[in-house]
Amino acid sequence: MPSERTAMPELPKRKVGIIACSGEEIAEGTVTRLAALRVLESLRPHETVTICLPLFLAGGEGDRAFARFHPTIAVDGCEKRCAARGTEMYSGKPAVSIVVNGDRSKDSSLLGTARRLTEVGMQVVDDVAGQIVRHVDQLLDLKRGRQTGPPTAGLEILQERAPRQAACSCGSGIPVATLQVAGREVTLLALPLIFAEFHEAGKLPDESVRNELMQAVKIYNSIPDADEAAYAHAVIQEYVAFCRENH
Amino acid sequence: MKQKILIVPCSGIGKSYGSVAREAAYRVTEDLCPEKTKLVPLALLVLGGEEARSELGEAKAITIDGCKHACAAKVVAESGGTVANAVDVPEVFRRHRHLKPSGIAELDENGKKLAQVLAEEIRELVGSAVGEDRHA
Repeated sequence: MPSERTAMPELPKRKVGIIACSGEEIAEGTVTRLAALRVLESLRPHETVTICLPLFLAGGEGDRAFARFHPTIAVDGCEKRCAARGTEMYSGKPAVSIVVNGDRSKDSSLLGTARRLTEVGMQVVDDVAGQIVRHVDQLLDLKRGRQTGPPTAGLEILQERAPRQAACSCGSGIPVATLQVAGREVTLLALPLIFAEFHEAGKLPDESVRNELMQAVKIYNSIPDADEAAYAHAVIQEYVAFCRENH
Repeated sequence: MKQKILIVPCSGIGKSYGSVAREAAYRVTEDLCPEKTKLVPLALLVLGGEEARSELGEAKAITIDGCKHACAAKVVAESGGTVANAVDVPEVFRRHRHLKPSGIAELDENGKKLAQVLAEEIRELVGSAVGEDRHA
């Protein structure tokens, strides 16, 4: 008997999100920015993506869904942990939180200024980039054979890749749709893509696809058990409208 | 002592315009008018609450944004601040098309020149904002 498969819509590739505080006031803030950029542009360009921290507040629901979709690493320049706390407040709890020089092993004044780092500051950038890379590899479970090595061991190999601009998610957030469920407005991640996939597969908007549709929806959204019937009703109605519009 | 004008650049990390915003903010607050301005990190304002409000205080802010999302202007406004001027880096670039910036971690020469042009425009805005206070 063939096994039933849940349709997986073709979403943006799951990567690790790097969110730097970029604190403009202190040298450690610049360290977060440069370390994040080093990972995004050179060390793990194909496995990482970023978003500006303030976009969680200024952007739309797709931007706020960033940390719910991508496991994130917050990189902060001080114990206020604006990146970690801001990400958790507006998007989702970061998988990892790094604070630059959190153990105070380096005298802060040796790092330089926010505008210009010293050689020591640049060394800290290397160290933090190495920490981020280790976490990225762990989160994606990458088998590159260097997890046992020192933080930056083997990074040179990847630096041979052509550098590129940091993959920025602004303006290309996760697609979402807002529905009325039992009289209140709810936003569901990835719903437009799920609909497109079902529609392309020729699945008609009737009761027979209800379970399959809800299984796909639940991959990307947390649906309370008690409300599942109401969600299913709203989703199928929305799919009827989608099919009508795309007939 | 007269209240300083707050300079709030966006934290743009994915585009050169974000780095231009940041560099221009440093040029204004450290080189061109350090006595009249103060740099405020946007990340701090994202958390909102009392800390953000006390940072913004009664002062006027000039925001510098690198893209259409205008995070700096929006976040300052949402934190209860007063945006005296919202500067848009792409708009300044459109008036100086020969200065197309590139690089994010390290701006190229065009990026640095664009940041300087921007900083000088902001210096004028700071002067006006301070002048307005004087005649209020």
